[in-house]
Amino acid sequence: MAQSAPKETQTPTGAVVKHFPSPEPKRQGSYRSRKLSQKLISYFFLLVIASITVIPFLWTISTSLKSQNDAVFSIPPSFIPSQVTFENYITVWNTLPIPLYLWNSVILTFFGVLLPLILCAFAAFPLARMQFKGRNLVFLSIVATMMIPNEVTMIPVYLIINQLGLMGSFTGVILPGAVTALGIFLMRQAFMGIPKEVEESAVIDGANIWQLFWKIMFPMVKPMLGTLAILSFIASWNNFLWPFLILNDPTMYPITLGLYQLEGTFVTNTRLIAAGAMIALIPILLVFIALQRYFIEAAYSSSVKG
Amino acid sequence: MYKARHAWGFLSLPMLLLLIFTFIPSVMAFGLSFTSYNPFRPLEFVGLTNYVDAFQSSLFYSSMWNTIYYWILVTPALVVLPIFVAILVNQKLKGVKLFRLVFYFPVLVSVVVTALLWKWMFAREGIINYFLSLVGFEQIGWLTGSTTVIPALAFVTIWQGFGYYMLFYLASLQGVPKDLYEAAELDGAGFWQKHFHITIPMIKPMIFFVTVISTMGAFKEFTLMLTMTGGGPLNSSTTVVLLVFKEAFERLNMGYASAISFILFAVIMLVTLVNQRLLDKNPNA
Repeated sequence: MAQSAPKETQTPTGAVVKHFPSPEPKRQGSYRSRKLSQKLISYFFLLVIASITVIPFLWTISTSLKSQNDAVFSIPPSFIPSQVTFENYITVWNTLPIPLYLWNSVILTFFGVLLPLILCAFAAFPLARMQFKGRNLVFLSIVATMMIPNEVTMIPVYLIINQLGLMGSFTGVILPGAVTALGIFLMRQAFMGIPKEVEESAVIDGANIWQLFWKIMFPMVKPMLGTLAILSFIASWNNFLWPFLILNDPTMYPITLGLYQLEGTFVTNTRLIAAGAMIALIPILLVFIALQRYFIEAAYSSSVKG
Repeated sequence: MYKARHAWGFLSLPMLLLLIFTFIPSVMAFGLSFTSYNPFRPLEFVGLTNYVDAFQSSLFYSSMWNTIYYWILVTPALVVLPIFVAILVNQKLKGVKLFRLVFYFPVLVSVVVTALLWKWMFAREGIINYFLSLVGFEQIGWLTGSTTVIPALAFVTIWQGFGYYMLFYLASLQGVPKDLYEAAELDGAGFWQKHFHITIPMIKPMIFFVTVISTMGAFKEFTLMLTMTGGGPLNSSTTVVLLVFKEAFERLNMGYASAISFILFAVIMLVTLVNQRLLDKNPNA
C-alpha cells in the first residue's frame, strides 16, 4: 500500500493523458493504433475506479498502523505512518474479546449457511419433481412473499421471536433467515434440470425416497448449493440488524456488533477503531481470496436466474 | 413413484418456518397497523388513526422526502455507472479479472465497517475534503450538514454497490453475440456507436431488472444511516425505514411503525409499476 499513492500520478496515467487527446492515431486510422489507444484509455479508467474503491481501505490500514505521534487527520493527509506500529491491534485485542466475537460470528454463519441449504432443498425438491395437489398454490404463495420487503415484517417477526422465548438466543437470530423464498426458487431451478432417468434408475435399484434425495438428487445440485452457500455466507457474516435486535448479552455478539460496540468504547480514538475494522475485515478478505471464483459465479447465477 | 405424503414430508419443515417467519408476520404487520400496539400497553384497535397521524406528521414527510432524494441520487448512478464498468472489464485485457475482484470486494464488506471507513473519509479534515481543496473547494462537514448528508450517504452506497450490479451486467454482456460487434466495426462504428446501438438494446432486460432492484434497495435502506449518522443531523438523514425502526424499537410505537411501513410498501409498489411502464414499453426487448 505504501507504493500506491505515487502509482496513480506516475506511470500508466501519465502516459495515457498524453496519448488520449492527441488526434493523430485516430486520423491516421490504423486499426492497431486505435486498438492500442483504446487499451490505454481502458486502463486509465480501470485505475481511476480501482483507486476510488481501494483508498478507503488503504486509509484504514494506514490509520491502524499509526502511533500516537502521527496525526490521524492532517492536511495534506499522510498515507504513510512515520513509524509503523502494531500497538493499536494489540490494544484492541486486549480490550475486547475479539476471538469470542469471531467465534460467535463463525457459529452464526455456520448455521446461517447450513440451514438454508438443507431446508430450501427440502422445499424445492417436491416443488420441482413431484406432482401433488396444491403444488402450484404452495409455489405461488412462496414466490408472492418475495414481493413483501423484510422491513415490513420486521416488527411482527421480532414479536414472534419474543413469544417463542427465543429472545437473546442464537436460534432467534438464525431461524428467521433459515428458509428464504429466493433460496427455494433457485434450488427448484436446479432440481428441474435433472433428467428423469436418474431418479427412475435409482428407484429400480431399490432406493427409498430418503436415499434418493440424499444420495442422488442432493449431490446433483451441488453448483446451486454452492451459490446459495455463498449468498447465505455473505448475508450471515455481515448480518447486523437481527443480532442487534435479538441479542442482549455482549458475550454473544458477532464481530459486526462487536465493532459497533468498539466505536462506543473508543469514541475518539480513530487508530483503535481502524485496527478493529481491519480485524473484522481480514476473515472475509481471506475467504474471498480463497474462493473468489465461486463468489463471482454465485453472483452471476443469482443475477441471471433471480 | 412419488406419493403426496412424500411431497408434504419434505415441505413440512420449511413451510412451517415460512409460515412463522413470513406468512404470519405479513398478515400481522397489516393487522398491527390498525392498533395502538405498544408492548407495555393493552392492544387497542384504533382504525385508521395511525395512517392519519402519519400523514399529519412533519417527520414522516421529511423522512419520505429524504428517502426519495436518496433514491434519486442512488438509482440512476447504480443503473448507469455499472454498465460502463462492466463494458470496461468485459474486454480482453491483462489483469482485468483482478479489477473485477477489486470492484466487487466492497459488496462483501459489512455495513458497520463501511460506515466506519466513510466517516473518516467524510470528516472535516478527511480525505474527501483534501481532494476537493486541491481543486479549490472549502472544507465541509459532510455528515454534519443537513444538505450534504444525503448526497454523502448516496455516494457511499454507490461506492459499495456498483461492483454488485457490474456483475449482473457482465453476465448479460456475455450473452451478446460477438459477431454483432465485428459487423459494426467493419462498418466503421466507433466505441459509442457500438455500445449505443448494440450493447444497450441487447442488455435492456437487465437494465430494467437493475432499476427495479436498486429502487427497492434504495427505498429500504436504513442500516447505513443507522450506523453512520444515526439519522442526523436533526433527522436530515432519517429515511422512512429508519423512522419505522426508531418508532418501533426506540419509542415502542409498534402499531404506528407498522402503518408507516405499509405506506412505504405501497410507495415502493407504485414506483416499481411506474418504472415498469416507462422502461418496458417494448415487450420484445
